Amino acid sequence: MKAITSFEQLEGYRERVKAAQKKDLPSVLICFGTGCQANGAVAVAEAFREEIERKGLKVDVNVGFKTTGCHGYCENGPLVVLRPKDVLYLKVKPKDVPEIVEKSLVGSEIIEKLVYKDVNTGESVAQYHEIPFYKYQKRIALRNIGNVDPRSIDDYLLCDGYKGLARALTMRPEDIVSEVEKSGLRGRGGGGFPTGTKWRSCRAVDSDVRYVMCNGDEGDPGAFMDRSIMEGDPHSVIEGMIIGGYAVGAKQGYIYVRDEYPLAVKNLQAALADARAMGFLGDKILGSDFSFDIRISRGGGAFVCGESSALMRSLEGKVGEPRAKYIRSVEKGLYDKPSVLNNVETWNNIPVIIRNGADWYASFGTRGSKGTKVFSLVGKVNNTGLVEVPMGISIRELVEKIGGGVLNGKKFKAVQTGGPSGGCIPDSEADLPVDFDSLTQAGSMMGSGGIIVMDENTCMVDVAKYFIGFLVEESCGKCTPCRDGLPRMHRILSDITEGRGREEDIETLTELCDVLTCAALCGLGSSAANPVLSTVRYFRDEYEAHIRDGKCPAGVCKSLITYSIDAAACTGCTLCAKKCPQQCITGERKGAHVIDASACIKCGVCKDVCNFDAVRVE
Amino acid sequence: MEKITIIIDGKQVEAVKDQPVLMAARENGIDIPALCHHPELESSGGSCRVCLVEAVQGGRSRIVTSCNYPVRAGLEVNTSTDQVMKIRKGVLELLLCRVPDSEVVRGLASKYGIDEPRFFKDEGENNRYKCIACSLCTQVCEDVVGVSAISMQNRGVEKAPGTPFHKDSQACIGCGACAYACPTGAISMKDSKGVRTIWGRKFKMAACSVCGKPYIPQAQVDWIVKTTGKDRAFFDKCPDHR
Amino acid sequence: MGANVQKNKIDVKKIDRIIKGYDKSEESLLAILQDFQRAFQYVPEEGMKRLSRAMGVPESKIYAMGTFYKALSLKPRGKHTCKVCMGTACHLKGAGQILETIERELKVKRNSTTEDGLFTVESVNCVGACAMAPVVVVDESYAGHVRQSKVMDILDKYK
Repeated sequence: MKAITSFEQLEGYRERVKAAQKKDLPSVLICFGTGCQANGAVAVAEAFREEIERKGLKVDVNVGFKTTGCHGYCENGPLVVLRPKDVLYLKVKPKDVPEIVEKSLVGSEIIEKLVYKDVNTGESVAQYHEIPFYKYQKRIALRNIGNVDPRSIDDYLLCDGYKGLARALTMRPEDIVSEVEKSGLRGRGGGGFPTGTKWRSCRAVDSDVRYVMCNGDEGDPGAFMDRSIMEGDPHSVIEGMIIGGYAVGAKQGYIYVRDEYPLAVKNLQAALADARAMGFLGDKILGSDFSFDIRISRGGGAFVCGESSALMRSLEGKVGEPRAKYIRSVEKGLYDKPSVLNNVETWNNIPVIIRNGADWYASFGTRGSKGTKVFSLVGKVNNTGLVEVPMGISIRELVEKIGGGVLNGKKFKAVQTGGPSGGCIPDSEADLPVDFDSLTQAGSMMGSGGIIVMDENTCMVDVAKYFIGFLVEESCGKCTPCRDGLPRMHRILSDITEGRGREEDIETLTELCDVLTCAALCGLGSSAANPVLSTVRYFRDEYEAHIRDGKCPAGVCKSLITYSIDAAACTGCTLCAKKCPQQCITGERKGAHVIDASACIKCGVCKDVCNFDAVRVE
Repeated sequence: MEKITIIIDGKQVEAVKDQPVLMAARENGIDIPALCHHPELESSGGSCRVCLVEAVQGGRSRIVTSCNYPVRAGLEVNTSTDQVMKIRKGVLELLLCRVPDSEVVRGLASKYGIDEPRFFKDEGENNRYKCIACSLCTQVCEDVVGVSAISMQNRGVEKAPGTPFHKDSQACIGCGACAYACPTGAISMKDSKGVRTIWGRKFKMAACSVCGKPYIPQAQVDWIVKTTGKDRAFFDKCPDHR
Repeated sequence: MGANVQKNKIDVKKIDRIIKGYDKSEESLLAILQDFQRAFQYVPEEGMKRLSRAMGVPESKIYAMGTFYKALSLKPRGKHTCKVCMGTACHLKGAGQILETIERELKVKRNSTTEDGLFTVESVNCVGACAMAPVVVVDESYAGHVRQSKVMDILDKYK
């Protein structure tokens, strides 16, 4: 590949790639996201390759074939999309492949058994964009994912890739900053700080050296949109960073990626190499005077490194501890130089904002939260996966319209947003619009966009304990409130869930929350109170039931529940008795079984194996 | 050094721009308790969270650590509002849980009315028994002595200073700066019969040619001679007899 | 730590090769330690010492990194690493019970290695595959929608 040194050459190259494309070729797209790969997408792709060959067909001549990034609907993977008819097949197995090639790729039949069926109505929907999960989405950040092969820069160019960069290089850097400001884009990583303002502050500091960084250390449990973007559309992040580097005057960029995301690292590395070869990175980009390059750094498995100052220490090759200073990183960041750190999804939005203009972007979303946001809708909901919607959609719409309601027809109880820094929002507040400010007012936060749906079988005290336990493990240990306060909070929550709760515990927890919020050094500690405070605020009765009545209303807390078998529902199949690790279930074949509560360790195996829903937890 | 006037506890005081609020307060006779800050170490502070104060700037009030909050024009500081006292007390209670054996922390906590914490106490282990993990020791070792013989290891509750691989540190020169810097006396250093024991390693002490008292580890002399080019003969006599 | 875990014989040439592949910059330290982890299943002391010498960075600093980052293990791991995801979605869908089942069946506590050295069982904070919760990752292979009663079938394949 020869480096492109002018805008004309770029457009010329793009035209040539377009011309080489066979339009309307019947094509098959196989999702190669981590989820689909785990479900067997690699074998499915292999089967397609073989079957296409066996039929004497040729890829790019008679049929199109490519593997793409994540479509978000991981629950139902491996996903296979057929173009141009835009048909989506779910849970495809290698044995389905010959039939798909015969009927749907060569022919134009739809295979009924592979299409989506609505959980609630039973109705089949074959058309990708008609499936409720996709129908209500507005994909800006996820614009290319699922359409492009993340390993192909040509694919990205076909989707108007690097057009934003070309436009940016014709603009004055300060005008780019103004454009980003005008778009209303706020940081997608958690705090929601206005991106343009951050860039402007960084530009304002006098310095020869500046850095831009991409935070790909997606650590919030329950969120995986950054992974999907880095894996499925790496060039969009790179293009955003180059534009950002030009706007703030940086020559070097860094991408900090979680070590747990090997595919993201691989795809980013390949994309960087291609971008360099084509002249989008390196000296005098596209013939301009601007030079810029990007390095990848792998995280080391420390949640605190998502905190900006800790991330920068980690990039410098040190222990990833946050810095105890009241100086912002736009002034003194990486190597004490003015630095801009934005999250993956933030960078990924930049190219489209520059390409389509700030007004276009600002036409989506709410007054204070512009644009769209990618959410990972997971937990006890029918359709789980990544969804992108305009800011301001209500929690209820997300859960019911896109998510298809709560799993197994159970009662919706709450959603958790914002990871360990966020909180739980109850059913009664579910009409709340999802945007930065509303979520903060409700005692939670946007965070990186994890939306975890909870049902009647979720214990809110257990959830609070879960998050505090998470933070105990992830605290860096530098400051007293976080290091020594969290384990005490965890002990109190454990006491409550294990039946040793005391009347004053809620009060004491609230006091400790106050110490953390006011006195912790970094965001990890100062937001750690949210999971506790929000559950106390909305589910105080549940705390009290544990403390006063020794009961876990959701049937989760082991010490407070008992397992028994409903004699009327039990068919005497003996499966539970066979699987019980304690061998404490007895009963005749075809007769009702009984659990010996004195020997039961409440492991839950019997409930898991029972096909007749006969095991009761109270 | 640009002098500016700020308000601490309602009083107008002179302070140097960008100096830590804690220093400005102390220079003006206002006491704020602090453990992990060392005036000679720029990198120190911000870890124990005892020196919390309320800072009001630009109409915005927040709780900050005075040891690293910079003095700027228009700043108003309140060192003992109800909220500050409550949060500081909370921090001290947690510190006391970590190091119930530390006289320093016990004394400070009792000033705030805490004799016994309400929460479980940590079990002392290795150097943990009085250590508040403030990292002054490792900072002195790195920034002042320049040997980096010890570092802060592990994370969370397990965070503590130590030598690499929990073995004798070859880089250690036995100077004891870490022990002198420690605000809670958590680092054990013993000089006996011309031998200093610190971090599990024994160091032979050089004696004063006048009084015969062993006063400096030989390894420390070697280090200073090597890094500063100072004349070795300088160390023949102890500071009292130079 | 299981009694029978074979301590990998540490190949110093391999250590030096890994170090040589990187710039002599502190920025490379974490990446090199991660490469040690991949090459040896843990970060050997000899590796940290050679890295210290090659980069001119004090041993104490490298050791601090080794003890801070969870991706690095200073003790040899088992032949296979079984990670049980403890992300929020997995937690809600019973990851705790799955981990307990593995602990019970393999007679091992979380974050330690089986007596025969075959498995190291770890709980990890979200592997980012939440839509398939609960998730268990053995070596690099993901298993989603894991059921408590079926989890041992996954591990049995590695025995």
